[in-house]
Amino acid sequence: MLASGLADTVDNEEDLARFLTSSGHFNAAGAKPAAFLPNAKNGETSVFRHGSHPPASLWQIANDHVGAARTLHGAAIVKAKHVRSVLLDAVAQEPPPRHANIVNWPSSQADPDMTKAAQKERAALIAQHAEVLRR
Amino acid sequence: MLEAFSIESAPGFAALHSLAREGSAVSTEAQTLRQAASDVVDRVERSEALFGGKGAAISQIWALANDHAEPDWDGNGAYPIHRLAVFKATAFIRALPDDLPLPEFAPEPDGSISLDWIVSRNRLFSMSVGTNDRLAYAWLDGADKGHAVARFDGVRVPTRILSGIEGIMKGKDAGVGPR
Repeated sequence: MLASGLADTVDNEEDLARFLTSSGHFNAAGAKPAAFLPNAKNGETSVFRHGSHPPASLWQIANDHVGAARTLHGAAIVKAKHVRSVLLDAVAQEPPPRHANIVNWPSSQADPDMTKAAQKERAALIAQHAEVLRR
Repeated sequence: MLEAFSIESAPGFAALHSLAREGSAVSTEAQTLRQAASDVVDRVERSEALFGGKGAAISQIWALANDHAEPDWDGNGAYPIHRLAVFKATAFIRALPDDLPLPEFAPEPDGSISLDWIVSRNRLFSMSVGTNDRLAYAWLDGADKGHAVARFDGVRVPTRILSGIEGIMKGKDAGVGPR
């Protein structure tokens, strides 16, 4: 059990929230692939385990994590099983409480551009299942 | 009847823009030529921004770059949009055939710009424009999916990318995979 009270392992049915700090990361149809691309420095996508918590608690986490200097447009919510279905994984990474990372993104020094293309395909596959929750 | 004429679709405009934006001129004559080309391009783009879809798209790219010009714009360590990515993305828009729909734009955490043609959640073509001349792209077409890389010379849109966009937006056989 983690300090947040959540289980060590992210369950397939858990909702993962990706905070949307750019209006370019979603449209009326839903989240775009770019919303889920990994950080270029650590190769991971930061998410928060949303579960059945009310949206207000999610926005409180966003305020703490994203900071007041940035505009928070909402969150793209996707189930962990959809992350795993594209051969990625969701692993708990606290602190901060309820934080997790999407890991195992394709990574290759030999051809960074082809690696990026592979990442975009997986990000698109995740995004097609995401529901956008507007703030 | 007079027909509307867009200078951006005129032969040579893309090359003119390339000269204006990406030259490495060192002689006085070359610098003068580049400045003249730059002035022409700027005037055309300001004009097209008022009337043309491509001008509006280019304005959106600049606005996106401006909105994501600071490091860590996502609160998670993202790089600012790279100026070279802006130049390459605008060159790509100029090079697009006029009968193709224009994309939506999104920032990527590595400082690239994503150009997205989205029909629906599972029918889309997404391409990254970064700092080099290789374009990483991926597509979803129902149960079909894939990804590849193509080289963009700044003037001509790679055939595989053209057919990929057409495949998604016009319902043609995409055929965008590596050959």
